[in-house]
This record gives sequence, structure tokens and C-alpha cells, in this order.
Amino acid sequence: MIGFLGLRLLRAALTIVLVVSFAFIVLRLSGDPAMTIMSPEAPPEAIAAFRTAWGLDRPVWEQYFSYFGAILQGELGQSMRDGRPAMAVVLERIPATLMLTIPALIVKVGIGVPAGVFAALYRNSWIDRLVMALAVAGFTVPSFVLGLILVLIFAVSLGWLPSGGQDSWRNIILPVITMSLGGAGVLARFTRSAMLEVLGQPYIRTATAKGVPWAAVVRGHALPNAAIPTVTIVGFMVGTLIAGAVVVESVFSWPGVGRLLVVAVANRDLAIVQCILLLVAVTMVTANFIVDLLYGVLDPRLRGTASTGAH
Amino acid sequence: MTQITRRLALTGIAATLPRFAIGQSDQRPSITVAVQKIANTNTTDPMREQSSNVSERWLGSILENLIGRNQQGQLERVPALATSWRRIDATTVELSLRPNVVLHNGDMLNAEDVAFSFGSERMFGADVPTDVRAVAKRYWPALERIDIVDRATIRVVNSKPDVTLEGRLSAGGGQIVSRRSWQEAGSWQANARLATGSGPYLLSSFKPDSEMVLEAHDQYWGGRPPLRRIRLLEVPEQASRIAGLRAGEYQFACDISPDQIGEIERDPKLAVKGGLVLNHRILAFDKQHPALVDPRVRLAMAHAIDGQAIVDSVWAGRAKVPAGLQWPFYGPMFVEGWTVPKFDPVLAQNLLRAAGYKGEVITYRARNNYYTAEIATAQILVEMWRAVGLNVQLEVKENWGQVLDKAGPRGVRDWSNSPTFDDPISSIVNQHGPNGAQAGNGEWSNTEMNTLSAALESGTDIAERKRIFARMLQICERDDPAYVVLHQNATFTGLRRDLPWQAPPSFFLDFGPKGWRA
Repeated sequence: MIGFLGLRLLRAALTIVLVVSFAFIVLRLSGDPAMTIMSPEAPPEAIAAFRTAWGLDRPVWEQYFSYFGAILQGELGQSMRDGRPAMAVVLERIPATLMLTIPALIVKVGIGVPAGVFAALYRNSWIDRLVMALAVAGFTVPSFVLGLILVLIFAVSLGWLPSGGQDSWRNIILPVITMSLGGAGVLARFTRSAMLEVLGQPYIRTATAKGVPWAAVVRGHALPNAAIPTVTIVGFMVGTLIAGAVVVESVFSWPGVGRLLVVAVANRDLAIVQCILLLVAVTMVTANFIVDLLYGVLDPRLRGTASTGAH
Repeated sequence: MTQITRRLALTGIAATLPRFAIGQSDQRPSITVAVQKIANTNTTDPMREQSSNVSERWLGSILENLIGRNQQGQLERVPALATSWRRIDATTVELSLRPNVVLHNGDMLNAEDVAFSFGSERMFGADVPTDVRAVAKRYWPALERIDIVDRATIRVVNSKPDVTLEGRLSAGGGQIVSRRSWQEAGSWQANARLATGSGPYLLSSFKPDSEMVLEAHDQYWGGRPPLRRIRLLEVPEQASRIAGLRAGEYQFACDISPDQIGEIERDPKLAVKGGLVLNHRILAFDKQHPALVDPRVRLAMAHAIDGQAIVDSVWAGRAKVPAGLQWPFYGPMFVEGWTVPKFDPVLAQNLLRAAGYKGEVITYRARNNYYTAEIATAQILVEMWRAVGLNVQLEVKENWGQVLDKAGPRGVRDWSNSPTFDDPISSIVNQHGPNGAQAGNGEWSNTEMNTLSAALESGTDIAERKRIFARMLQICERDDPAYVVLHQNATFTGLRRDLPWQAPPSFFLDFGPKGWRA
């Protein structure tokens, strides 16, 4: 188990290094933060002074190594826009994002998994077709389109809910619905597929033949065995909790990490972007790690392979 | 479960009564304004937010200049924190400070605040960020000192003759801040987020990239502010701003594109106000591009453009083709009779033939609607150029760094020009002169223009300065084109029809006693 954990942590660290390195190189080579933040009307001397102040006049490789050196000392840099510590800027946005992404995750799982199970249990019936049609619609409509449609209906026409902002709990409803429908659709399809596969297995037939009630067969044998693909998708969704609302936060003027990422990328505010990516990578790797551990819990056959790190 | 007793109920009622009474005593409305962006640099200081029409929307509500601009007129100079001013000589202006001006921190404005606002701690000293010092140097290239004559009189002393001192005092970089608040903030950066001035509204809170709240400054020298509270909310998507306006959540929605005006006004409760502002959309040339070295090719590009067609089609006639890179508020410096190169495709073709242009690719860099209707305008331009035989390739870039990147061919690019004060130095010299951005980027420079820039900066004779400016226009727009002026920009704000707000001829959202005529 220790070997397994060590290997996973090593891979996680390597993933994070690669993500941050990739972001560093792409952002450094795709725009000058001085020109972007200061604007092209700024005096050339001001732009030159900005570059010097932030070390942008040094060779890229030198900037890269000093950046990593700083990270190893726990220093993630400062925002070039206003000089505040990058980690503080990002951390103050995380609660707002989690206010959307956690309820959205609950709604996705709460709708998607039961819908997928029902669709599988009533395979080829009108229920199955209706659920799958809604699921396809859910994940094919882009979230910015869905968000604006919901705003037009519930905010502009009916006046029931606010169109944006962060003033009260009512402001959460439309963004959460917008974020949930696509994910619920994905989960419904995966759950249905997994359930159909399991329902065709010999042990389901055996249990049924032994006279076990159908509800007990589904609850005790089908659902746990179908859970692995669903847990994988949910794990991925957990990994996107931090920065999974980029578009929705822009449409609903929600001041979370997603909006911050958009603004920071547009301004090439490198410390902020890298700080967010670092957090996202850590969240994603942690979520994957937990999912790996859950595999062992859900399926005893995988425990041996997990402990050796094999798949 | 808690029992609601009579005592508890009475206590609750008593606790709410005073608050209710206070609330009732102030009947002024509060508004929410949806803006695309609140600030570029997440600061509230004009030295950091320089060159930005983003912060121009609210800065004037918080900070004021000694000399103001008539936002309800044509932006002509008007008394503000100074009641009067006079020239002592070519390098000195004396100003009488307005008495009884209460700053947002409760202090009375005095000459020390004014001297501090132009001093080393705020603009030029070693503790000031180096980029801010460079910006300050552009605002005040030869400022020597501020002399305090007495508590109510100061003198602005320049090291060189400068007829634009009064104009500079009315522009960005001329705002007056509270000395005490600045020094108490502890650092330049900390202060840059806590603007404390004398305007009709004081900064109550500022959440970067999210919202800014301004509260009425009831001791405002210009009269009681008409609004109790202004909340600026950052709503980046235009569709979301319009939806919020229609839903009644926002009373104002800024940065409305011309094609949405009719859609908004279809709702009888809503209106769109605004119009021309002090900003010209231009195209800037890189004359190092092999195909653009010959000025006749650049001039041909100018003659190939039907600016009025762009104004009529993209702006529904609400913008304007101006008289070159100048504005009527230049007053005596405005060159009457000057025009942009006329739309003449035949002349353009003749110029291209004479220059030996053989269809070489000219790169045109634009951003994705950084300017209103930028991409639509760019596509129209490419077709207009194609019609006269120019082979222009549009490249859409994500940011200014990419637009100005020297790697790869730079031909022509989108830009705009705003005069920060009422003299050509603030526009043509600032952007196209020897120390301007176009020269700094290595795109364009002209020896005669550089000489004339120095002469315009130090000249004091109006007639001679005007002659110099006219020659500059001739160089930059005809002889050795540095840019092409496309049209004067306009800005539009959607609002509830019953609100008594007057749109000024600028980006400033004037919610002061004069801008809001209840």
C-alpha cells in the first residue's frame, strides 16, 4: 500500500510540474503582460519599467527557474495588476465558486444517477427514450446558451429570479441549474450503460433465479457493480470544483475563480493563472487518487491490484 | 422553538424603529450600474488606471481636479477645486482654491493637499513604482514644483514654458487626493486602492473584478449628491447586462453596441442615451513593413476607406467621420477645413500603381471586439481595400502584446486616440510624437514630426502653434501617413426611461448634482 501511495504521489507531483510548466511557457510566449496591463497608450518608459519591475526583461528560462525556485519555497508570486499576493487573490474567490459547484455537483448526481438507473431498468421503453433525449439535450446545449435562455425566461420574462450577481441565495439557482444539466446528462448516460452491462451478467440471472426480489437484486448486486464508471465520472467532476464554472461565472457575473481565471489569462497575469492551475491540478490529482481508493472499496477484486499499483 | 412573547415582540419592534426612521429620512434613490469592466489594474488611482476609459466612468465621482470640465456642455474648462486661475508667466499658473471643500475623510481641503497631490510621495519619488513615475512624467513632463502662496492660493511652476498647464490641470494626473489619508494608508499600492478625494461620492467598497460601491458625500461643495448609493457591478457579457436591465435589476447598462439600441428601446420602459465621445478610432501603420515603406501605399489605404459607409452601416449613423485627429474642444487650436483623406478608389488605385505595389500581403492585426464592432469594421475594411487591389490579411489577436509583437510582419493595426486635455499635445504628440507609443513600438517615426513636436510643446504663440499642428496633420495623415482616422467613437448607455440622467460627451457617468436632474 505504501508503494502504491508513493507511486501515486510521485505521478501527481509530476503532473503538477508538467501543468504548471506548460502554462508558464504558453503564457510567456503568447503575449506581453506589460503591454496588456498597461495598455498600448502607456509611455514606452512606463512599459519598460513595468517589465523590469516584474522580471519580464529577463530570459524566459531564467524566469522559469526562478519561478519554480519560489514555488519550492512556498512563494507563488504577486498579481501584476495590483501587487497583491496571488494565493490570497485566488483563495478569496474559492468560496464563491464552491457556492455554485458543490450544489451543482449534488444536483448532477441527484438527477443523473437515478435517471440513468431508471433508463436502464426500463430499457427501450418510452421512459428510457425520454431520459436519454433529455440527457443528450443537457450535455449538447452549450452552457452560455442555456444560461442566457434561463435568464430570459426566469429573470426577464417571469421576473422570478435574478439574472446575475451574488446578492442572495436566489442568485445561485440559475447558475446551478445551468451547470447541472449538462453534467446530469453525462452521468445519466454513463450510469445507464454501466447498469445495462451489469444487468446482463450471469450473477444477476442467478440471483433472480434464486428468487431474490428484483428490487433487492438491483440494490444489492447491480448498483454496486455499476458504480465504478459512475464514480470515475463523479471523481472527474469533483476535480473541476475549483475552476469548473468559467463560462457560467461570466454569464452570471459571479465573482469566482472561473471569472478570475478569464481575467488573469486575458491580462497575462501569470502569477494568478499559475496559482489557479496549481490548485486545479492538486484538486484533480487528489480527486483521482480518492477515486482509485474507492475502486478498492467498491470492488474487492481490485484491492490486490491497487496495493501493487497495477491496473 | 422560541416562543414569541409580547416583550420579545416589542423589543424587536423597538430595535427596528430607529433604523427605519434613518432609512426614511434619506429618500434619494440608489442605483446599480452594470459595466463591462470596473478597472484595468484593480486600483482606484489615475496614475495606475492611466489611458483607461474603463475607470473614467467613475473616477470623476470620487476625485476632482483643480480645473474641471463641463460635462453638461462641450467639456470646456470650468472652475472645480480652484475657483479661478491666472497666468503669472509662461511657466507659472496661479490658482485660488475653493473654500470650505470637505474631503471624504472629513478634512478641509488645503494647499498642502494640492502640493502633495503633485509631489514626490504620489508621483515622482523613489518609493513610487517606476511605471507610475513614467506615467507621471508624461502627464507632467516639466513640472518643477507647487508653490503654496497661502492656505488658499497655490502656484503651479513649470521648468519650461507650457501653454497646456491649465489643460493638464483639468486632465488625468491632475486629480487632488487627501494628503492625510494617503500617508495613513502606508504604501503607494495600499493607497492606490483607497482613493480619498472631494467628489460627490466617496468610495465605500471595492471588490476587484466584481463590484464597487460609492456612497453620497453629503458635504460635497457642489450640492447634495442626488443619489444615496451607486453600485457598479462588473458584468462582462453584453447580453447579461441587457438582460439585467430588462429584468429591472440594473438601472443602467453601459457599453451597449449600436446594433442593440433598437432592441433595448423596443421596451417602452427603457431608453439608450449617449453619443459621440472624445475618442477617435484609428488604424496605425508600421512603415517598416516592406509593402508600406512607400507612403503612397499607406495613403492609398486611407483613400480606399469609405468612413461614412462604416458609420452608417456599423454605427447606424450614430458615430461621425471627424476632421482628422482633432476635436472642436481644442478651441483656437482646431484646424478648420481639415478633413480625413476622402474616399476615392480611383485615386487609391493610381497611388498604388505609382508606388509599384504588386499585391504583396499586408498584415492587419485586430482584437476580438476590444473596440465596439471591431471585427465587423475590420472585415469591411479588408473588402474596401480588396476593391482597390490591396491584399490585406486580417489577423485577430487576443491581446495588445500579440498585436504589437515584432515577430512576424506588422502592417496595420487597430487603435484609438483620446485627447486627455484640450491641446494637440495630448493626442497627436502623445501617441505619434518622438516619445509616443508608435515610435516606442518601432512602428512609425518622422524626423520633421519629431522636431515639430518639440516646438509645439515649448511654443507659446497660438498662431504659430496652430501652424505647427496643421503641418503635423499634413505629415501624419497625408505626406507620411502614421495612421488613418476611421471615425469618432460613441458610447451608449441603456437605462430606465424615467431616470433623469443626462449623458455627457465623454465616458464619465456623471451622477453629480448637474448630471442627475431630478
